Amino acid sequence: MNEKNLLQEMCKYTVQSALNKGASAVRITAIREVSNEFTVLNDSLEKIQSATDSVIQIHLFADGRYGTCTTNKKDSAGIDRLLDHTLTSVRLLAKDPFRKLVPAKVRYEGSPIQIAFQGPLKTETKKELLFSCTNAVLGKNPALINVSATLADRRRWIHIEDSSGLDCTSDETWYSIFAECSVKGSDHTRPSDWDVIGGITPAALGLEDCSTPHSSLVGECAVKALKRALDKRNPQKISSGRYLVLVENRAASTLLAPIIQALSGASLQQKNSFLLNQLGQRIASPVLTLTDDPHRKELPGCRFFDNEGLATKKRTVIDAGILNTFYLDTYYAGKMKMPCTVSSPSVLTLTGTEDNLLSLAGQMNNGLVVTGFNGGNCNPVTGDFSYGIEGFYVENGQFSFPVNEMVMTGNMTELWNHLIMAGNDALTTSSWLTPSLLFEHVELAGL
Amino acid sequence: MDSKKLLQLALRKGGDYADLFCEQSFSNSIVLKDGEVNTAGVLHEGGIGVRVVKGQNTGYAYTESALPADREKAAITASYIADKGGAVEVPSHFTTLPLPNRYPVLTPWENLSAREKMPFLYDLNERTFGADKRVCKVIAQLADSTSTIEFYNSMGDHFTEVRPLASLRITCIMERNGQREAASVSRSFRMGAEFLTQELVCELAQEVTEKTAFLFDAKQPKGGVMPVVMSAGSSGILLHEAIGHAFEADFVRKNESIFSDQMGKRICKEGIHIVDDGTLPASRGALNVDDEGVLAQKTYMVTDGILTSFLHDRISARFFNTTPTGNGRRESFRYMPIPRMRATYMENGSDSQESLIASVKKGLFVDTFSNGQVQIGAGDFTFFVKSGYLIENGKLTQPIKDTNIIGNGPQTLSEITGVANNLIIDNGAWTCGKGQSCPVSCGMPSVLISSLTVGGRL
Repeated sequence: MNEKNLLQEMCKYTVQSALNKGASAVRITAIREVSNEFTVLNDSLEKIQSATDSVIQIHLFADGRYGTCTTNKKDSAGIDRLLDHTLTSVRLLAKDPFRKLVPAKVRYEGSPIQIAFQGPLKTETKKELLFSCTNAVLGKNPALINVSATLADRRRWIHIEDSSGLDCTSDETWYSIFAECSVKGSDHTRPSDWDVIGGITPAALGLEDCSTPHSSLVGECAVKALKRALDKRNPQKISSGRYLVLVENRAASTLLAPIIQALSGASLQQKNSFLLNQLGQRIASPVLTLTDDPHRKELPGCRFFDNEGLATKKRTVIDAGILNTFYLDTYYAGKMKMPCTVSSPSVLTLTGTEDNLLSLAGQMNNGLVVTGFNGGNCNPVTGDFSYGIEGFYVENGQFSFPVNEMVMTGNMTELWNHLIMAGNDALTTSSWLTPSLLFEHVELAGL
Repeated sequence: MDSKKLLQLALRKGGDYADLFCEQSFSNSIVLKDGEVNTAGVLHEGGIGVRVVKGQNTGYAYTESALPADREKAAITASYIADKGGAVEVPSHFTTLPLPNRYPVLTPWENLSAREKMPFLYDLNERTFGADKRVCKVIAQLADSTSTIEFYNSMGDHFTEVRPLASLRITCIMERNGQREAASVSRSFRMGAEFLTQELVCELAQEVTEKTAFLFDAKQPKGGVMPVVMSAGSSGILLHEAIGHAFEADFVRKNESIFSDQMGKRICKEGIHIVDDGTLPASRGALNVDDEGVLAQKTYMVTDGILTSFLHDRISARFFNTTPTGNGRRESFRYMPIPRMRATYMENGSDSQESLIASVKKGLFVDTFSNGQVQIGAGDFTFFVKSGYLIENGKLTQPIKDTNIIGNGPQTLSEITGVANNLIIDNGAWTCGKGQSCPVSCGMPSVLISSLTVGGRL
């Protein structure tokens, strides 16, 4: 019996055992993940990491009460001891009438989802790809200190079942190469930057087949990382003031994250959200249309059910600036007396024009391009934020000089109401497809 | 477990060093929300990590299985990092390291059921609601974990130890005329169930209500470059971000840290001593021994203003031909050890907090923080200020909140112009992320930094 079959058998055993011990309902999530990472630093193999995880998460409902237990032990005696321990604790808790299994009418009822690529890359192929990645920049610039390249591959299998007949399974893979370069800067500084390629099949690494280690993309990845690091040398600070700010695609999700957090049931029900009572209201400029499109199989984040087995579907989260939906699992939906939607986003798509970073910069005349955020946070209750930034000053539509050690401060609702353009250059290495975004009247603190 | 056989398999293709890190963890948590303790969580997991080191290169694999065949497979996988050259000999006997006992457990967590723990959360809830009528929501969480570790390495070292860790965290939300504010506070120690006391509950309830109420009249400050007085305690996040990470010797040996070529040089003014300390009893950052069998110690990174030590694991210590400092840490058996901080703080100076504030004409006093970040090579660091005050003509005036402060590590260190004699170690539930999470603590006396960039409104 292979490991997945063993886990499925354990799920069935656990459901029955928990019911026998007096639980009124049970949901089990079994996860098996096999992942590998190879890292080359300059001209030598620096790290090999191999991981195999098999975890069972048990959600127990007993006497109107609820608790969870998680283990990587897969023997029936160990599971029984854990169930006894957890059920004892659960029976001491206060009752919670909102803890329930996913209702049959909204749960996933489809077949197992197979998004996994079947042929793993051979070790020698991985090494050759990584060396071709670092060799693309080694010796090409005297300022280069180090180039590292990491190839990660992962296969993740998830199975969810519950005592009322829920039965969901998915199997997915992920392949990526991450290149990072550090270079000599002014004084003692050593600026660094990175680039990444990746996707659900090895084709995302530029491979035509798994056995041939030829890819033009991997070298480009290191070349881009080196250029970015070199471009960051000798940064300056500019005067405090209000600026046109263009946020690069790979940094833009930092600004979207507080919005998504504020839309979650846990934040809303606990009044810990600046978007409380904003359903149907304008929360951003008409430029912002945000769609959650979970069934795009070619993208990371694709899923047909969420972590409690609730079926996912396409939703417009924000429609031309108007808030359309919250992220409510069954628990918080019950507490808020609203219909459940889904617990969290899957594949978020921000619709824009046909522009990319350079064409948007060309249209902004003078302003700042933010290529990365350095720390900072957003107050979840008020939406007030403050983030460190790095990037480039733009004069007459052209990148002029690198900027660092400045801070962008404001309020999330105000900021998103000042969104004036969104590009169409989202990276597909993340489940949040955020393109480059142009905001006006952004407050920056510097000199 | 046949440790010798596993180490021999790990070193079968060569290698300078190998170790086995076997861990069993049992964790519990209970959560209070909307006035009820109605969620409990239990985690029981274990496994073994096998590491092989060849020069600066590492092979690492782990298995959750206790079956000898699975463990041997992990050792063989890790062995592939070495493909030539000889291997060290695995000794026939292991010597058990004599460990100190920095976190004695008086009452094991396994002796307490949810029945004994829940009253503390209910009491915390009641005291918080009772302290201020504007409180509208309270979330409180009690978490405890007990990890048992067994370790062997190819040098013949062996240790077994039990590491407890407990934390109590509360978030309070208040409402005043439609305006809402939230604040969180926490305490965390390596202790048994004696951690739970009435005094702890009273302290947290009072602190969280005061911090939340403070925010109603606070504003985001005007941004710009200005002097900043950092209050004693959690200001230690400055050290963690501004220099601590850049002193971690994996970055240094790769020549990627902004401090890589600063050893032995003056990096701040005379009289300033900065340490990373694994020896504080019961501290969240305390260790008896690190995760590669090196006894924990108090490491002076900066002595009298001079950079005197980086934070080493075995790999970097060997690279620099020095002794490891006991900073080789890992989140669990799933991760290889790398240089990590423990409790990082600055020792006392001779000024007073009052004199530091009085010396500032126009600036900021900051006393509560939530998070920080650093760019190791560029040296730019940030920390997010949850609360503080404007300083105007030497006095604290307008309350401020929610601002990010940014600086450059070496420059900021050189601009510490005053250090008070009021060191406080902050015992909040600080967790450091560096690809893997580790519990840490930090501390600081009040200090004056003559110039930092403060985020703020125009």
